[in-house]
Amino acid sequence: MTATAAPARLTVGIVKFASCDGCQLSLLDLEDELLDVVRKFDIVEFPEASTSRSPGPYDVLLVEGAISTEDQRREITELRSKAKTLVTIGACASYGGIQALRNWMDHDAVRAAVYAHPEYIDSLATATPVREHVKVDAELHGCPINQDQLRELLASVALGRRPQIREEAVCLDCKRRGNVCVLVASGMPCLGPVTQSGCGALCPTFGRGCYGCFGPKELANARSLADSFLVGREPADVGRLFAGFTAYAEPFRSIVTEMGGIRMDPTGPASARPARGGNA
Amino acid sequence: MVRDGGSGAEVVGVVEALDRTWFGAALGPETQARLSSLARVVRAPTGTVVLTEGEHTDDVSIVLSGRIALRMLVPERGQVTIMTVEPGDVVGWSALLSPHRATCHAVAIEDTELLALRGDDLRAMLRADHALASNVYPRVLQAVARRLAATRYQLLDLMAKESSSEVHPW
Amino acid sequence: MVTGTNAAEALALDNATRAAALADGAAQPKSGPWFLLRANLQVLIDELRADGRKVIGPRVEDGAIVYSEVTTVTDLPEGWGDVQDAGQYRLSRRRDRKLFSYNMGPASWKRFTFPPVVPLNIGRREGREVTFEPAPLDPPRLAFLGVRGCELAALGIQDRVFLGGPYTDEDYRARRAAAFVVAVNCTTAAPTCFCTSMGTGPEIRGGHDLVLTELDEGFVVRAGSAAGADLLARLPVKAADAGQIFRAAGAIGKVAATIGDPLPTAGLHDRLLAQFDSPQWAEIAERCLMCANCSMVCPTCFCSSVTQRSDLDGHVSTSERVWDFCFTSSFARVAGGNFRNRPRDRYRQWLTHKFATWIDQFGTFGCVGCGRCVAWCPVGIDVRKELMSIAPPLAACPETADCKPVAASPTEYATARIRSIRTETGDVSTLVLGDVDSVFVSGRPGQFAMIALPAYPPMPISISRYLPDGIELTIRAAGPATARVIELGAGAELGLRGPLGTGWPLEQAVGRDVVIVTGGIGLAPLRPLIDAITAQRPRFGTVRLFYGARTPSDMLYRTELERWARNSNIEVALSVDRGDERWRGPVGLVTQLFDQATWDGSRAVGFVCGPERMMQATAESLEERGLSDDRIFVTLERHMECGIGLCGHCQMGKLFVCKDGPVFSMAQLGQVFGREGI
Repeated sequence: MTATAAPARLTVGIVKFASCDGCQLSLLDLEDELLDVVRKFDIVEFPEASTSRSPGPYDVLLVEGAISTEDQRREITELRSKAKTLVTIGACASYGGIQALRNWMDHDAVRAAVYAHPEYIDSLATATPVREHVKVDAELHGCPINQDQLRELLASVALGRRPQIREEAVCLDCKRRGNVCVLVASGMPCLGPVTQSGCGALCPTFGRGCYGCFGPKELANARSLADSFLVGREPADVGRLFAGFTAYAEPFRSIVTEMGGIRMDPTGPASARPARGGNA
Repeated sequence: MVRDGGSGAEVVGVVEALDRTWFGAALGPETQARLSSLARVVRAPTGTVVLTEGEHTDDVSIVLSGRIALRMLVPERGQVTIMTVEPGDVVGWSALLSPHRATCHAVAIEDTELLALRGDDLRAMLRADHALASNVYPRVLQAVARRLAATRYQLLDLMAKESSSEVHPW
Repeated sequence: MVTGTNAAEALALDNATRAAALADGAAQPKSGPWFLLRANLQVLIDELRADGRKVIGPRVEDGAIVYSEVTTVTDLPEGWGDVQDAGQYRLSRRRDRKLFSYNMGPASWKRFTFPPVVPLNIGRREGREVTFEPAPLDPPRLAFLGVRGCELAALGIQDRVFLGGPYTDEDYRARRAAAFVVAVNCTTAAPTCFCTSMGTGPEIRGGHDLVLTELDEGFVVRAGSAAGADLLARLPVKAADAGQIFRAAGAIGKVAATIGDPLPTAGLHDRLLAQFDSPQWAEIAERCLMCANCSMVCPTCFCSSVTQRSDLDGHVSTSERVWDFCFTSSFARVAGGNFRNRPRDRYRQWLTHKFATWIDQFGTFGCVGCGRCVAWCPVGIDVRKELMSIAPPLAACPETADCKPVAASPTEYATARIRSIRTETGDVSTLVLGDVDSVFVSGRPGQFAMIALPAYPPMPISISRYLPDGIELTIRAAGPATARVIELGAGAELGLRGPLGTGWPLEQAVGRDVVIVTGGIGLAPLRPLIDAITAQRPRFGTVRLFYGARTPSDMLYRTELERWARNSNIEVALSVDRGDERWRGPVGLVTQLFDQATWDGSRAVGFVCGPERMMQATAESLEERGLSDDRIFVTLERHMECGIGLCGHCQMGKLFVCKDGPVFSMAQLGQVFGREGI
């Protein structure tokens, strides 16, 4: 990905741990704007897109994926020392992602249930966000991250300004767009009021409750929202509504732990009925 | 006789000097007279160590002119000045409180004049005369309270640059 | 009742009747009341469209009644109603064929007069030159069909906010002027309605172009303006008869009776402000999600933010105004922290603004009683219940701010060129600006300017000196934007608006002693004041300056401090929070310099600037020296975006820091100064 060198481009590395790869793809999805990006940034390490590699150091290191194995733990620590600015991209790196659901379960039982030869699988008991291992300078949230936010991050790094990422609930974007609230008008459970905006209220725009994939917003009052969902639902069903891509982030984590909804032992009987409506 | 710190050449009596200080002004003429009988003027040229941290404090002193720096030893940093005591304020109140150990160093950083009251004598006088004690101790308490408030503001470090150690998305 | 006849004939008949009635000299005023048959409502829509207007009206969409384009009567929600309560809204089917028998849905007309996203200007930076091009003002011609009493009142309230003060929003004015209002009297009410309590309905009494009241067979119509009367003349109406008028009035009356008076508002302003410390605020905060839905659906909430969208090089940047809400985290944030961190403080700010301090600012309540916030709150918080609980009735005062000299709105910027930059301390530099508009040069000490660079958020900076042909700005690199400005270098341009805000009231100090107490960069807004004093020194008594800095190297204007002491007969006393070995001066909070002093301040005027906690401590110490609180002046800092009191961010109680301040007397601030979370 190295273009002909322009003077003093910032070096960028993009690496991946336990994740689906979709966040890295957001960079490539910039399509025509990719040329502007490459003019300003020298992308020296991006295994997804190029065979040319660099061991660092990096001015900016974008990290996708949760830390799920011992090797990954070692690698992120080493990478941290080579990166001036480390930015996690996506729900996995920032919050642990869907993988973090195993943090509530019996690790050995999960391994045995999924793999025919679990003795070959060397994973940690928990899948955790990058910040639990190294200092993180900034986080981009979302599953996947939002292209506009990525562009804003890159522009801010290039210009030396504070990125303008609004810290507000999904509801503001939903209302700015003129959407009718699915919670109030049809009783569909939606995590929008406690979730950080960034996707432009994508799911509610299509008549479907928010999953919370951008993670809890600042001062998220998940308890109050969960209490309102309890009307006409079992606690385990409500817990399951919060057990999604950012389940491991507080305050969602506490709700999941208290209300249940995750089968603690994957080989045992189901601990609750499937959820009604919304997030099924 | 005492040289008045403010206007230079004037020479005034101990009682009047005491009356011109913040500490002494509120005490009333009788109390001022009783205290003056214990008082002596001490000259502390620049550099004089008035109190040594951890050691016995002999006198309660009121600064008449000049400036005293309160310092504490921080091994990695040496002697650090926490605060200065300006004219009118008290230094050495630990002479009134057991175990009478100075809580920090006190050094004159300008040519300073102090009105010193010997701790033993003052304590004895206050034990014997309750009316006098009920006048003096509250004033000492006020001086300490003001020092406490000033210390708290120092602690807030109001003009420090903002920094945050939490990861917070932006 | 005309049935089954040719519509054109019917039209001709009606017109003939009306012409005949007028010819007879019958007393039918042009404005009404007239009667429009249900079958002829399409004519109204067609006439509006013929005038080049897009008609916006109610439609059923996504399970609610929202406002969007209407071209035929069949687009309207015939036979639809709604069932709503706190946190709940459902459409329902009615047995009649009425078109307007629904209550408030999530949408309000604010969407069209104060849109969620509006471009303000495009900034460009080429080398050292900057240009700012305001976004063009070209609002569409619209007609609003179905505006209710509460909604009309809401439009009136936003008119006052955006057009009634010393600074106006021209985008709002243009959109408002381009909208024709066809109001409709309510003939139903929801349990969430409380217009009767707020004095905004149900009956419509003014602010409309046309008003309709729906009966089964048609509408009683009145005009409310010349434009409305003109349109009315083109409609196939005949004089309304007594029976129709009576039934219309009855329907409205029944609505008022149904609603009752859920929220008695007599004395609510004072009652509510007396409850700043009520434990109820914390209780609400346990339920409140801080999700902003209440404000987004509210037809009067007007707070906004400005965002920059720039290219990667920072050469071109579009500045946009977007809906914001005082509950979001960064609303009250400044470089040193956030003035409103706790949910209970944010909720209190919103509710007390809406029901109390709005009156001080604009002369009316901010709430119109439409009930949307009650219905659309996901957890069903009902403001009426909360208010009755926090400030129950036992048994109201407008204020206006003065006009300030010329300042541009966020769509415009003047430019200035940096002549030179002086480093004052490690992170503070002074920019000397030339090529400034002459208005700046005649500003007052204590005023500030909003400075801008494309792609960066605008920054409020105090003017630290007035020169014959320019101004100085002393800036601390507190964040990336200010750091960037300092790095610009001589010859570069930047954008400026101002001078803004109130200045130090020096005239109150003439003939008196002056005490100036300041810390750190706080000396910057005081320097023009000191310049003014030294220029006319004999008019003032004893002038004392007490200046504290964190360390000796953080002191500003050191040579000037010496000069003031030496040449201008000003007593200058300096202190630091921490000294080095060479420092022989006082160490401690600046108030120590006069805490133990004995001079008498009862004839003095105090001017104070520094971190807020320091200003509080100073005000207390000055009061002990004898200064009265109406003669102690402080200058405050809050999160500012527009600098002219129209974005809502810098509010403190009933005061806008940018417009009513930043200089305030301690007496003016009263209880709000130093309280947590204001």
